[in-house]
Amino acid sequence: MLSVKESVGGQVVTHAPTLDLDEIQAIVLRPRPAPYFGTHVLLRIDDAAAGREFLRRLTPHIGSSAHWWSAANTWLAIGISYAGLEALGVPQDSLQSFPEAFRVGMAARARQLRDEGVNDPKHWEAPFGTGQVHIGVSALSDSEENWRRALEIARKQYEAFSGVTVLRSQNFGFQPGDLNPLGYKDGIDQPAIEGSGAEPLPGQGPLIKAGEFILGYPGEAGAPLPMPQPDILGRNSTYVGFRKYQSRVGAFNRFLRAHGSTEEERELLAAKLVGRWRSGAPLTLAPEADDAVLGADAQRNNDFDYANDVRGLKAPLGCHIRRMNPRDTQLTRLTDVNLHRLIRRGTTYGPPYDPNAVSPEADEIPRGAIFMFISAKAMATMEFLQQEWIDEGNFVGLGEERDPIIGRQEEGASFTIPHEPVRRRVHGIDTFNVLRGGEYFFMPSISALTWIANLSG
Amino acid sequence: MPTQPATANRPKQSLTVDEKVQKMRELYADAPEIGKAALENGLPTLTEALAAPSAKQTAGRIGLRQGKVSELCVFLPFVKGGAKRLRGFLELLDGNFRAADAVGTVHDMRFVFVDNDTKLLFATAYDGDFDPYIDDFATKIPNAMDLWLCNCEGYPGMRSGKAKQWIFDHQIAAEAWYVNSPNLTAAETRRLEKVGKAVEELLDKIG
Repeated sequence: MLSVKESVGGQVVTHAPTLDLDEIQAIVLRPRPAPYFGTHVLLRIDDAAAGREFLRRLTPHIGSSAHWWSAANTWLAIGISYAGLEALGVPQDSLQSFPEAFRVGMAARARQLRDEGVNDPKHWEAPFGTGQVHIGVSALSDSEENWRRALEIARKQYEAFSGVTVLRSQNFGFQPGDLNPLGYKDGIDQPAIEGSGAEPLPGQGPLIKAGEFILGYPGEAGAPLPMPQPDILGRNSTYVGFRKYQSRVGAFNRFLRAHGSTEEERELLAAKLVGRWRSGAPLTLAPEADDAVLGADAQRNNDFDYANDVRGLKAPLGCHIRRMNPRDTQLTRLTDVNLHRLIRRGTTYGPPYDPNAVSPEADEIPRGAIFMFISAKAMATMEFLQQEWIDEGNFVGLGEERDPIIGRQEEGASFTIPHEPVRRRVHGIDTFNVLRGGEYFFMPSISALTWIANLSG
Repeated sequence: MPTQPATANRPKQSLTVDEKVQKMRELYADAPEIGKAALENGLPTLTEALAAPSAKQTAGRIGLRQGKVSELCVFLPFVKGGAKRLRGFLELLDGNFRAADAVGTVHDMRFVFVDNDTKLLFATAYDGDFDPYIDDFATKIPNAMDLWLCNCEGYPGMRSGKAKQWIFDHQIAAEAWYVNSPNLTAAETRRLEKVGKAVEELLDKIG
């Protein structure tokens, strides 16, 4: 038994971790600090030997999850796409052991991910979906100075070789009040992982088997999930769904103004869309008005279920947080909610939310969020979420209604707000977050990185 | 293991109505007399169907879909004694399929014993893609699944993580698939039943 330690995310560590923390990349278990500074760099490997040399040099600097709860919070993370694994010379039988959705890549799975219309890969920013993104490196820190130092370490490794090309580099960072581009505090609800040592935060739900998030451990059904081969490559590794969204702040504000005549009405509507007020206070606990103290309190801001809000009179059945984690909501389809969770590492870019922006031009300002969705079956989970909980409503009896925040809305779409005596249906909801690109990455363990770096041929 | 017919990924044909009619005549040139006569007499009605845009969609990796409703058909060899066990089990269930009710996406299921009780033909209509919820079966209703599928050869067990692939390996895609209300999911149908009843009650009170 360890002495009780409190992590940067407010979680309390009371148990000796049973996971190989030294092997698992830091970003998997470490909560994102606040404030934070960081950069995502996308790279292409033009020469296998140079790519492996780059990996050999970078690997000692990749952060692990050891002491993930400690405050020292600067790390580098690395992900490799299927095209990247090929470019690095990973052997054929090993390549074939990866799941199909990962092999073909996120753009090729557009149909399964419902990435259609404005979200179609043909509209994505380069280099997403071109097959050229081989490696993603992320630097993240709680201080500007340490972030720059970490980035410099990464830069030295890839600039040393002619066979490794930087395709794109994107800075991201903390916004005033740690708000997302639509003006909400988010990233509050994360799955609690068995074996990490953490005591779940109140309301975080039961501990979920580590195998759902990290390869090589038993999953919820008992058996470990299928793992790429050889074992050293799979064990303690995982997958990342990388998605870049642009927030259409003007469209969001226009919608609020069209359906709320006072500031109070607009803020209530905004909260109904998300299920939380802007402070993070959940509607389930604060149905009438925002409660900033509640929103800021990690011990209380997630401590609820929907047992007393079966019909969604407080938090609508179709609101964003109830879709992304229905908790004990009665669903129309047999569902094990624990199987469809993701570790989310959200990072915002561009200027902060502007409550007065209403013009179509404001929609085109590069501002939004880049998410890293982490799971041992990230591809299957993202497809499930997109098909069942985001761009659909049948699972909670809402027909074709979609997620009001990250769903892609069709012409004439609506959002239902349960109310007494009759529900209110708000028409003309627009797409507020447009997908600008994405990639699937394999996030190798430290040993797996070393194994790949030392391949020959 | 049945071989997969090539229908699933056959390239879309874009024939004109006249070409389709011509094709029908070629196909039925050596048909029995009843068929030839039916083609000539039924041609006006048939031409309307042939003129309509394609309504054929695929469901997940294998199988067909219309609107929101997909078909799944598997052909499973019984293990020794499997047919007897499953028949007995189904008789005792006496038409009560609580697990299927719980699944919520299943429209119908049929269990047909063929080839002198050596194989099971299982056919179902369900909502959406086949993949998304299979993992949920493994944690929520593994026993209900294992109880009937254990009677079939090579079944790896719901908790093994291999059941999804095993089902795919035994799936036979239908050549054609028709759904009367392709936009109604099972959940939506039940909701509309409730709404319809409530509307009638309301009208009763008014009238």
